[in-house]
Amino acid sequence: MAVGGALLHLPSRLFPQTKAYPDLALIQGDSPSRITKEAVATLGGIKRFISKGDLVIIKPNIGWDRTPEQAACTNPEVVKALVELCKDADAKEVIVLDNTINPARRTYARSGIAKAAKEAGAKVPYPNPHHVKKMAINGEWIKEWDVYTDFVEADKIINVPIAKTHSLSRLTMGLKNWLGAIDGPRNQLHQALDFAMIDLANFFKPTLTILDAYRILVRNGPQGGRLSDAELHKTVVAGVDYVAVDAIGATFFGIKPEELRYLDLASQKGVGRIDLEKLNIEKRTV
Amino acid sequence: MKKERSKKYRIIQTARILIQTLFFGIFFVLLLKTHFPGEDYISNVEAFFHWDPVLALTTTIAYRALFIAFLPAVITIAVTLILGRVACGWICPLGALHQFFSFVFKKTKLLRPKKLQDNHTTWKYYILAFVLVSAVFTLDVVGFIDPFSFLYRSFVTGVLPAASYGFSVLTGLLYRFNLVSIGDTFAQFFENLDVNATFLQGFFIGTIFIGLVLLNTTRERFWCRYICPLGAFLGLASRWNILTLKIDPDRCIECGLCTIHCQTQANPYPNEGWRSSECVYCFTCSAICPTDAISFPAKLSHERIESVNLSRRRLIFSSILGFLAVPFFRITPVSMRASEKLIRPPGALPEAQFLQKCVKCGECMKVCPTNAIQPALTEAGPEGIWTPMLNMEIGYCDYYCSLCTQVCPTGAIKELTIEEKNQLKIGTAWVNRNRCIPWKFGDPCIVCEEHCPVSPKAIKFLKIEVQRPDGVVKTPLAPVIDLDQCTGCGICENKCPVVDAPAIYVTSVGESRSEKNQMLLDIIKTEEDTY
Repeated sequence: MAVGGALLHLPSRLFPQTKAYPDLALIQGDSPSRITKEAVATLGGIKRFISKGDLVIIKPNIGWDRTPEQAACTNPEVVKALVELCKDADAKEVIVLDNTINPARRTYARSGIAKAAKEAGAKVPYPNPHHVKKMAINGEWIKEWDVYTDFVEADKIINVPIAKTHSLSRLTMGLKNWLGAIDGPRNQLHQALDFAMIDLANFFKPTLTILDAYRILVRNGPQGGRLSDAELHKTVVAGVDYVAVDAIGATFFGIKPEELRYLDLASQKGVGRIDLEKLNIEKRTV
Repeated sequence: MKKERSKKYRIIQTARILIQTLFFGIFFVLLLKTHFPGEDYISNVEAFFHWDPVLALTTTIAYRALFIAFLPAVITIAVTLILGRVACGWICPLGALHQFFSFVFKKTKLLRPKKLQDNHTTWKYYILAFVLVSAVFTLDVVGFIDPFSFLYRSFVTGVLPAASYGFSVLTGLLYRFNLVSIGDTFAQFFENLDVNATFLQGFFIGTIFIGLVLLNTTRERFWCRYICPLGAFLGLASRWNILTLKIDPDRCIECGLCTIHCQTQANPYPNEGWRSSECVYCFTCSAICPTDAISFPAKLSHERIESVNLSRRRLIFSSILGFLAVPFFRITPVSMRASEKLIRPPGALPEAQFLQKCVKCGECMKVCPTNAIQPALTEAGPEGIWTPMLNMEIGYCDYYCSLCTQVCPTGAIKELTIEEKNQLKIGTAWVNRNRCIPWKFGDPCIVCEEHCPVSPKAIKFLKIEVQRPDGVVKTPLAPVIDLDQCTGCGICENKCPVVDAPAIYVTSVGESRSEKNQMLLDIIKTEEDTY
C-alpha cells in the first residue's frame, strides 16, 4: 500500500494504467496454449512483465525422459505459448533452459519442449557446464552454490513448473523447480529440501510464475510413468507471488497450503502469501 | 626410351585416396551418428560390420547359426574373388588410417621403406587360423583383432573421449578469453555430438591403438601386412581374381622402386614373384614406376599364380594353439558363479551365448545415452575382456531407451522394443544401511526413490527410528527395495548423494537372462496371494 501511495505522486504519464491486477489468475480450458495466454492477459498482459529488448529466460521442468502425457515435464504447449508472448512483447531473445536429470538430449526431445519452443522462436540450448559458476545465494540456509549463470544474466525470468507429487516435499511446483537451475551436488539439498527451495526461489526471484496444471501428476511423482499416474486438470495458474502460486497449486491435490512445510515456512518468513481466502484470485474458464 | 610416370595410374591413385577418404568419412559419420537420434529407434548405424566376412564367419561358427544380417559380407567375398583385395586398399577405414599414418611417417622420415624378402606377411594367416579354429570350439576371440571391431572400439573408448577432453579445454579457453558467443557455439556443438567421454579402459584401449599406429614407423601398413585376419581371409579369396600385375620387361629398368614402396609387401618385382594375396590394389607401384612399366590388365583366365606360401607346420601349429586356447580362456570362475559387477545391457543373451556372439565392437558403448556401458576387464573372464557391462557409478540404464539392443551388429544383445526392454531385469538394487543417510544418520534424503523410474516405484519407504551418535532419536523415511518392481536400472546408485561408494547399488543377481544368477525361489503364486 505504501508503494502504491508513492506511485500516485509520480507523473501519471509514466504509469498510465494504475489498474489493480489480481494476485493470481486461475484459468481453465481445453487448450493449454489458450489458457496460458489468458492467464497472462488476466494479470495485465505480457507487457506488464516483459519490456522491449529484454533477454528472457524461461525455466520449465524438462527433468525427465517422459512424454507430455506422463506429466513429468511441463506441457510443451504452455512453454510455447509463453515464448510466443515474449516474442510479441519484442523480447530481444528468449531462452528455454533446464538442468535436466535424465540426459538433456533425451528429455529435451521426448518432452516435446525443445521442438515447441524452437518453433516459437526461442533458443533451447543444452545446459552448458562452462556456464556454471559458484555464486553467493545469501539465503538463510544456503550461502553459496553452483548456479547456471544463464538465469542470473537474463533480464527477466519466467518460471514454468508442472504440478506433481514428491515424496519429500509432498508436492513439487514452482519453488522446487529451481533445483533445475543449479548444478553441484544438488542431491544433497534433499537433506534440507524445504529450506533449500525457499532460498533458491528468493535468489532467482522470477518475474512471473506460471504453474502448468494442465495435467497433474497425482501418484508416483516426480516422474510418474503410467498414464494413470497423471490426471487431466486443464488449469494454468499465473502469479507474481511464487509462494501464492504454489499455495493454490496445493489445493489441486486436496492439500491445504499450510500443510506443506515449505509453504508454511515461506509464509512465516514473509516470502509470499498462502492465505488464499484473502488473495484476489481471478478464476475463469476459456 | 622415354622416362615418364604413368598419368593414368597417378589419376587412379588419386581417385583411390579420395575414395578411401570418403569411406573413412562414412565410417566416422556413422560413428558420430551412433547416439540418441531424438526418437526411440535408430537407423542401421552399425551396417558396416555386416560387410566383414571374418566377423560373419567366426560368429556363425562359434554360435552355430546363420545370420541374415551378415548377407552383405557375401558381396565383399564376391568382389574379392573378382577384383582381389580392393576392399583393403580402397574401402577399409582402418586400412585408410594406417596408410595415412604410413604416409606421414614416410614424409617425416620416421619410416624408411626398404626392400624386404621376408615372409612375415604370413603371420596374419596363422592368426586367422587361430581365430577360426577357436571359433569351432565356441571361443569367439575375433572381436579382439577384427579390424572393424578394433577401429570402432578404439575410437569409441579412446580417441573420441580424448578428443572431447581436448575440445572441452579449448572451449574453456574461449570463455577465459571472453569469447563467450564462440564458446557457446562450441559448447552447444559439442553437446549435440553427444560423445560419451568416460571409459574405464579408455587409456589402455587407446594406448594399444596408438601403439599399432606407431608400428607403421617400422613397416608401412603394419597391421594390414602382418596382423589383419580380414586381410588374410580376403587374401585367400583373391587368388583367382582377374586383375594381375604385369611388368613390361622392355620398359622396366629394374630400379626396384615398386617393391620398396609397395604398401603391403606384395613384391611387384620381379613379375613372377608378385603375390596377389598381398596386393591391395593401391596402384602405388604403377604410379611410382619411372618408366610406366607396370599395369594391371584384366584377364579372365591366366596361368595359375602363386598362392599364399604358408608353412603347413605353422598352420597346424597355430590351429592347435587355437584349440588349446579354449580351455585356457576358460580357467575362470565366471561360469561357476556370476560376477556381481557383471551387469550386461538389457537384452543380452545368456552369458555363454553372449560371449559366442559379442565381437567387442563398442557400438553399445557409443550409443548409450548415459555412458553407463563400459568395456569389461576381469568381470567376465578373459573371454569377456572389452565386452559391455553397465557401470552405474558412471551412468545408468535409461528407462525409455533400448538403443544398445538396436545397434548390436551380431545380436549378442537381442533387439528389443522399449516395452519389451522394460519387462527385463538386468540386476537388483540393494540398500547399504550402513551408508544410507536416513538409515545411518536419520536425515531425510529419498533421492533414490525420486529417481526410480518404474511405476509403482521399486523403492519404498519404511518409517524408522534411528539413534544418532549424539543420542538424538530421529524418525525418517528410509528406503527399501521392492524386488518385484526393481529392474536393476541403477539410476538410484548413480544419483545417490553418498558419492564414493553409493549407499544403494545394483548387482547382477536376478537378471532375466540367467537361470543360475537368481536368489529367490520362484514358485507359482497361489490365489490367496494378493500381493
